[in-house]
Amino acid sequence: MLGYIALALLNGAFIGASRVINGRLGLSTGAMGASLWNHVIGFLFLGVILTVIGAWQFDVDILFPQSYFGSVWNAPYYAYFGGFMGALFVAMNSFVLPRIGAIQTTVLVVSGQMLAGIFLNANMESLSLISGKMVGVLLIVTGIYIGRK
Amino acid sequence: MKLSVDWGLALSAGMLLAVMIDVNSLLAAHSSPMTASWIAHGLGAVGAFILVLAFRARQQWHCRAEELEKAGPDKKINSPFWSYLGGIPGAFTVVLAAVTVNSPIGLSGSLALMLVGQVLFGMLCDYFGLFGIPRRQPALKDLKVVGCTLSGSGLIIFLGA
Repeated sequence: MLGYIALALLNGAFIGASRVINGRLGLSTGAMGASLWNHVIGFLFLGVILTVIGAWQFDVDILFPQSYFGSVWNAPYYAYFGGFMGALFVAMNSFVLPRIGAIQTTVLVVSGQMLAGIFLNANMESLSLISGKMVGVLLIVTGIYIGRK
Repeated sequence: MKLSVDWGLALSAGMLLAVMIDVNSLLAAHSSPMTASWIAHGLGAVGAFILVLAFRARQQWHCRAEELEKAGPDKKINSPFWSYLGGIPGAFTVVLAAVTVNSPIGLSGSLALMLVGQVLFGMLCDYFGLFGIPRRQPALKDLKVVGCTLSGSGLIIFLGA
């Protein structure tokens, strides 16, 4: 359990490291260039890992290829938009980070993620859960308000 | 903190991230988290290449810290070799997340701990100026901001799963 906790914390540090390193690269290549390098290196690195551990998987449900979640090839077209969003996301991150610092960037990105996440999941939740989450929203907005200047 | 366009950009980046994670997990349901991330990185590289071409002439989109801007707009900034490797910890995130989400910690615990890890790491970087970013002394106010946003995020995460 403690090991998993440490691993999850370390994962947070990895997210932070990627953000800061790309922000640093953006100083010389521009934010868009940093995003390009991030994706090319990540693509190659994941390719190596997938090959080494033999985990290429384009067919989850190979026994039932007819099923909806059959293979990556019959994923809906918009399932592939995530990559393009990622390109824009890393560029925005890299642009902002050297200007406002790592903490502020992290706090604001996390806040935006949480706020949007509520709306994305809103349709399948009960009212009491949503009102509880609104307390969370209030805390986030308070935090942003305190730090506004 | 100063309210600025940078703020709006960082907030919108977070919102984009939430949508992106949703869309990517849809692709992961059709393959595996790592294969989906590989595909997303490949398409992301194509997208970033288009962005590079589109904003080539727009110098103002080249991000430069204020300190560096003062040094002169034409001053050439060199990047150390490690600054090209930001994609590696980024790609590792997918691998580690796959491990912790399927552990006793679960999705909520993983998300919350990853947030704490991110913020702590950000503090270290700002304080010591790690990875060549400008040094920033955290004020008491920064801690209040972190306290509020982290507890709010924690609440949302644990009510969500």
